[in-house]
Amino acid sequence: MVSSILHAFGSVLTPELLLVMLLGSVVGIVFGSIPGLTYSMGIILFLPMTFRLSPLAAISLLLGVYIGGMTGGSVAAILLGIPGTPSAAATVFDGYPLAKKGLAGKALGTALVASIFGGLLSVITLMIVAPLIANFALNFGPAEIFALVLFGLSTICGVSAGNILKGLVSGCIGLLVMTIGLDPVMGMPRYTFGFSRLIAGVDLLPFMIGMFAIPQIVQSFSTTEVKIENITSKKIKTVYPSLKELRRMFWLTFRCALIGIGIGSIPGTGGPVAAFLGYDQARRTKKSEGPALEGIAGPEAANNGVTGGALIPMFTLGIPGDAATAVLLGALMIHGLKPGPLLFSQHADFVYGVYAALIVIHVIVLFVQGFGIRFFVKILNFRKCYLFSTILVLCTIGAYAVNNNVFDIYVMFFAGLLAFFMTKYDYPVAPAVLALVLGPVMEDSFRRALILSQGSFNIFVTSPISLVFYSLTVLILIGQIRRSAKNAGSGTGK
Amino acid sequence: MKRIGLLLGFVLVSVCLFAGGGAEPSSGGSASAYPEKPIEVTCVFGAGSAADLITRKFSDLLQPILGQSLPVVNRTGGGQSIGYSHVKDQKPDGYSMIWTSNGLLTAYYQGNMDFKQEAFRSIARISYEPVSIAVKYDAPWATMEEFFQYIKNNPGKIRIGNSGVGSYTHLVAAAIENKAESKVVHVPFGQGLAFASIMGGQIEASVQLPSEVLAQHEAKQLRILALSSGERIAALPEVPTFKESKIDLEMILWRGIAVPAGTPNEIVKKLESAAKKAVESEDFKQFCAGMSIIPAFQPGAEFEKFIAEDDRLIGQLMKTIGTSKR
Repeated sequence: MVSSILHAFGSVLTPELLLVMLLGSVVGIVFGSIPGLTYSMGIILFLPMTFRLSPLAAISLLLGVYIGGMTGGSVAAILLGIPGTPSAAATVFDGYPLAKKGLAGKALGTALVASIFGGLLSVITLMIVAPLIANFALNFGPAEIFALVLFGLSTICGVSAGNILKGLVSGCIGLLVMTIGLDPVMGMPRYTFGFSRLIAGVDLLPFMIGMFAIPQIVQSFSTTEVKIENITSKKIKTVYPSLKELRRMFWLTFRCALIGIGIGSIPGTGGPVAAFLGYDQARRTKKSEGPALEGIAGPEAANNGVTGGALIPMFTLGIPGDAATAVLLGALMIHGLKPGPLLFSQHADFVYGVYAALIVIHVIVLFVQGFGIRFFVKILNFRKCYLFSTILVLCTIGAYAVNNNVFDIYVMFFAGLLAFFMTKYDYPVAPAVLALVLGPVMEDSFRRALILSQGSFNIFVTSPISLVFYSLTVLILIGQIRRSAKNAGSGTGK
Repeated sequence: MKRIGLLLGFVLVSVCLFAGGGAEPSSGGSASAYPEKPIEVTCVFGAGSAADLITRKFSDLLQPILGQSLPVVNRTGGGQSIGYSHVKDQKPDGYSMIWTSNGLLTAYYQGNMDFKQEAFRSIARISYEPVSIAVKYDAPWATMEEFFQYIKNNPGKIRIGNSGVGSYTHLVAAAIENKAESKVVHVPFGQGLAFASIMGGQIEASVQLPSEVLAQHEAKQLRILALSSGERIAALPEVPTFKESKIDLEMILWRGIAVPAGTPNEIVKKLESAAKKAVESEDFKQFCAGMSIIPAFQPGAEFEKFIAEDDRLIGQLMKTIGTSKR
């Protein structure tokens, strides 16, 4: 196998393929880093371009966009507090405060290193143990996915900024919003109040853009500071984290990458779920209460771990792991390749070529984005009025472009208004975002499980996998209750 | 001086405004020069789906024939109603096109929208696909006849995955249930998930388009028991039809292109002949073979009669199985 991969590197390191991968990576980073444009959009946009390329070049281009986008998502999350893609939402929590403290360069560097590490680990996993993981992931039926997502939702405790009750209210708002529209199982309209526009429901992306971006923009116009941070006088020295910091975060990053790979390989979940779980891991690991580099490394390693993870079921079983790989799968079919169990035996050269391309793409993304960081931080030097007006325009375009639907722009502004008032009255926004991401998956799997069991709730407790996740959820809740009780106790003691 | 500059500026801006505004009607006006700008093609299914792939491929093929680009836009959601409603409300000038399928009819009967084929002018049928039913390779049923008998004798025991409530695959599964005079549990899934659930043992069978299960069938992980078309297909020569398996059932998922009702005849004719050329191209045939789609061109007038007949059948079937709201 090693010799086959080395041989594959030979076929990948041609001028044509390198150019295609570079193009893909740059497009991905750009799409990922601009709030409102996502890597999924980039992949769809470039899909027709691949019709005329060779299969390997086609998939390399799209993989470049995928990985570049997943990595680039952290840029806007850290610099502006607005995630470039939904998968980068968890990066905002620690990344943005760090940037405001003047550590933008280092935060971006950490995100990049963790992303590439997570991504490469996922590629290695894909190469070595793909069939094993794919077969294990098949054990995740609707009931197990429900248990997993419930576990994810329990991390609301961690992102509630100290006030659990307000965090829960915020989480419920998120869940409620996602129930609008046709219900996923029977196709019944819910909370549409007779508006035909609401039948399609509220799309996650515009709502999320609105929740993060609008309060930032409003706030930036209501303060007197001209710039986010004045960096012209300072020279940004270290961009990458020090060796000591890397060593400190190694196990966390490793763990989060594995979480990402696992989540990615389970069809029907995806990047944002992994990123939030990664953030939760980071929160437990870091020493201090405030923002730390761990809070960036965790979610970024996890969401890039998803890329290789999502390719596992695609290559071994022919099942897309997430929305982006669904398009990749389609691209392969257009080229007459049938992703699935026989791909290895029938087109081994192609598969090894893809492995080699994945590794090369990670190297390219590392260099391109690493090179870009020094320019990215410069945007903090723009006058806020210009910067945020531009962002508002980009977000509006992005909200429209998701479904080519003007209604989504209204959704974005409504979400922004909601988030603005939530922040004003000290309700944390993060739990709502978490619920937005997890809510649809949770409902879907819950209802599907009940159809499978024909109404019996036993299905939720009979599988060992579910029980493991329920136990983890209970542990988190107990820990949180104890911590709250302690805080309350010390509060009255004073 | 300053005032003159301002006045000049105003004149310039207003001239530009008029020029911009004036260009619109004249470009849409003459049908002989059509198409003068890109034609937007709406696909009601998500990117990467079988419907999306054929839409993109076909648009790519139409481009050199029509001499304009045909950007594809996915307008998903609302049980397909979002995309259909959008195109219905566009100007009938030939610059908005939609890929239709049986979904137009199922979405209507399900109550997702208040119109069906009369809101559109059909240009041509492009292709059809049979629907396949598959079980795990080592399942106890080797043929459709055995499986059908099992469904008959064991009401409520078999769980069949489909691609969503009210989808065409659901309809086929319901028709099988109906013919067996028995009960099965219908489980709606998203793209690709049904296969994972068969392998994971959560469901016994899945009704899907052949392209979605072909690879797994060839790898002997799944067994496609039967196809819903009238004849066998080239991609799966060994798989019999329902009729051969002694089940009187023939349903195909057709796809075609349409424009809003009221589009001028000249434009429709132009698009129809372009579509014919594209369907008959070698490139399209190759694409279809890979996706187990059967290219099946039918001109607009015939296509409309074909849809009307399918409308009657689908309306009847959905009423029988209780999913119709009409």
